[in-house]
Formats: sequence, structure tokens, C-alpha cells
Amino acid sequence: MTENPASSVARVRIWDVPTRLVHWLIVASVATSWWTAERGDLELHRYSGYLLLGLLLFRIYWGFAGSSSARFAHFVKGPRAIARYLRSGSTPSVGHNPLGALSVVALLLLLLIQVTLGLFAVDVDGLESGPLSHYVSFEVGRACAKWHETVFDVLVWIIVLHIAAVLFYVIFRKQNLIGAMLHGHREYAEQPGSSIRFASVTRTIVGIVLAVALTWMIARGLELP
Amino acid sequence: MQMHVRFSTRTASVIALMAAMSFTALHADAPATPAEIQKARHDHYHALGEASKKVRDLIRSSKPDFAVLEQAAEHIVDASIDQGRWFPAGSGPEAGKTRALPAVWTKPGEFAAAQKMFSDRAPTLLAAVRAKDVDAVRRAFREVGASCKNCHDTFRAPED
Repeated sequence: MTENPASSVARVRIWDVPTRLVHWLIVASVATSWWTAERGDLELHRYSGYLLLGLLLFRIYWGFAGSSSARFAHFVKGPRAIARYLRSGSTPSVGHNPLGALSVVALLLLLLIQVTLGLFAVDVDGLESGPLSHYVSFEVGRACAKWHETVFDVLVWIIVLHIAAVLFYVIFRKQNLIGAMLHGHREYAEQPGSSIRFASVTRTIVGIVLAVALTWMIARGLELP
Repeated sequence: MQMHVRFSTRTASVIALMAAMSFTALHADAPATPAEIQKARHDHYHALGEASKKVRDLIRSSKPDFAVLEQAAEHIVDASIDQGRWFPAGSGPEAGKTRALPAVWTKPGEFAAAQKMFSDRAPTLLAAVRAKDVDAVRRAFREVGASCKNCHDTFRAPED
């Protein structure tokens, strides 16, 4: 405590702009999707769903082609690594810790299932439907709509768990995960051994173009022009 | 005294028989139990939803299959006429689980007007289909859809 903080604290950039922006845009689009569904505004609900689909597609691409801290291969760990992390007293990680990785994978997977169900969902009157619903029968479309509701309930619980876990780290472990997801930097007691390799702007643009193009095609019902 | 009793027994038998016959006749006339009415109504609207989806799917294309489209549009017109009979008294929430609100029976004038909006607009859809005018079909379908929503907003409970 008496030491000069500048020499004892290492401020390290761990999250790139795309990862942070996608994270908070997912938050915004999930909130918008929930609100529009509650209000029965299915027109807006479809648009927020398309935004979410585009963000998920980009995030998946980024999980393979992005900065090292955003890559699945970098943070998805097996049960043994998770157990070791828990035994170590959850020492700060550079990027996602092995337990946080589970949260990321679970949320991405659930959101992807949720969006896919929405693409095929049909409302009870056959008047509102997702952009791919013409590929399925009324019965299948209705079943998708019902699962769309059930999966949302599961999603809410996983989101609550995710937020509770983050708050646990902020309050009890004094690790400011929320600040890191906002400005991209974290402070470590000492310079961490590993460092992040950041992806180029070109890769970001390629990802945006791919995600937008694929989302556009799906929103148009996957029909050739 | 004896005679009187025997006569009464016979009279009673005849009355009982007649009552049984008329009950059978009445029962044959009665359409269904409230639960059966609710089930039939649910099935009717399910089929209507299916027809709506068919129209919606077909008019994505600028060259839809007009024969299939016509079948669906005819189904919608028939339903718009028949629905007047789908809400007999006693088939509301008091008879079992239904999304039909009590307002259907407490505000019969408004309910009839809402149903009329549907039966007025549905023939426009069929006419546009028969004229093979896709843009007119799309417009008419939007109008019919709005008439569905108009009634649902007031007379159908939200999904739970």
C-alpha cells in the first residue's frame, strides 16, 4: 500500500473494441427484443432479432478470427482447467477466466438457439412470423414460437447467473470486470506473463461484411434475388 | 283405490317415456356441451391461422400459386361468415379455459361490429385473388389482418 501505485499496478489492455461493442449491443438488442415482444410490436421485434443475429454471427467469426482474448480456442477450457482455477482461489486471468468461459459459451449457444427459433416462429393467428417460417408448416411454426418463449425463460436465468457471477468478482474478488468490458483495460498487481494479440481492422471489416450479408440473406428468407 | 294406483303407474310410465323421448330429441338438437363448443371454436381459429399463414407465405412471391391462394382465401371468407355462430351464450370463461373475454357476451353490439369488420373485408381478399392481382391481395390481406387484430385487442385475452 505504501508503494508507488504506478510501479505496483500494471494496466493491461485485454478487450478489443469489437468484443466490447458486440457485448453491449447484445445486451441492448436482447432488452429491445424482450420489450417489443411484451408490447406485441412484432415488426420492431423482428428488426431487433436481426440485429442480434448479426451480432452473434460476428461474435462467432470473432471467436475464430478475432483478437486472442476473444477466441474460443484461447478461453474455452476443460473441467480439469476449471477445477485447477477454482483451487487456485480464482487468480485474475488475462481475458476470460475458465469459469467465465462457460458463461460465454452458454449465453452464445442459448442466444443462437433463441434467434433460430424466432426465424421459424409463427404467431397463433398466422399473421406474424419469422423470415424463414415459410419453410415450415403452421404446426412447426407454432411449436417454434412456444419453444421461443421457453428458451427465453431459461435465458433470463442464465443472464441472472452471469450478472451475479460478475458482481461476485467485483465485490468479493475486487476484480473490476465491468469496467474492463467498458474501457477494455484491467489492472494487475504485476505484469501478467501472457499478453493479448489484437486482430487488425481489416479482419474486423471482413467480419462485419460477412455478418451483415448473411443476416440480410436470412432476413430476406434465404431466397436468391 | 287399487285402480287409481295402477292407472297412475301407467300414466307415470307414459309420461316418463315421453319425457325420455323428448329429452333424446332435445339432446340431438343441442349442438354440444360448452367444452365441445370451446374445442370446436379453438379448432376453427387454428384452421383460420393456418389459412392466414398460407396466404402470407404465398404472397411473398410476385407469382404465387393462385389456385392454392384461392382455397385459402375461400376458407377465410367462410370463417368470417361462420364465426357469428362460434360464440353461443355459455361458452365463455365460465365454461372452461378460453381466451375469449367476457366482453364477447357483455358487449354483443361491439363484438358483432368487430366480427362484421372481418366479414366485410374478407371478400375483398378473395376478389383480389380471383383477379390475380398480387398487390391488391397484399393490400387486402393487410386490411383483413388489421380486422383480426382489432377484435383480438378487445375480445381476446393476452397469451399467458
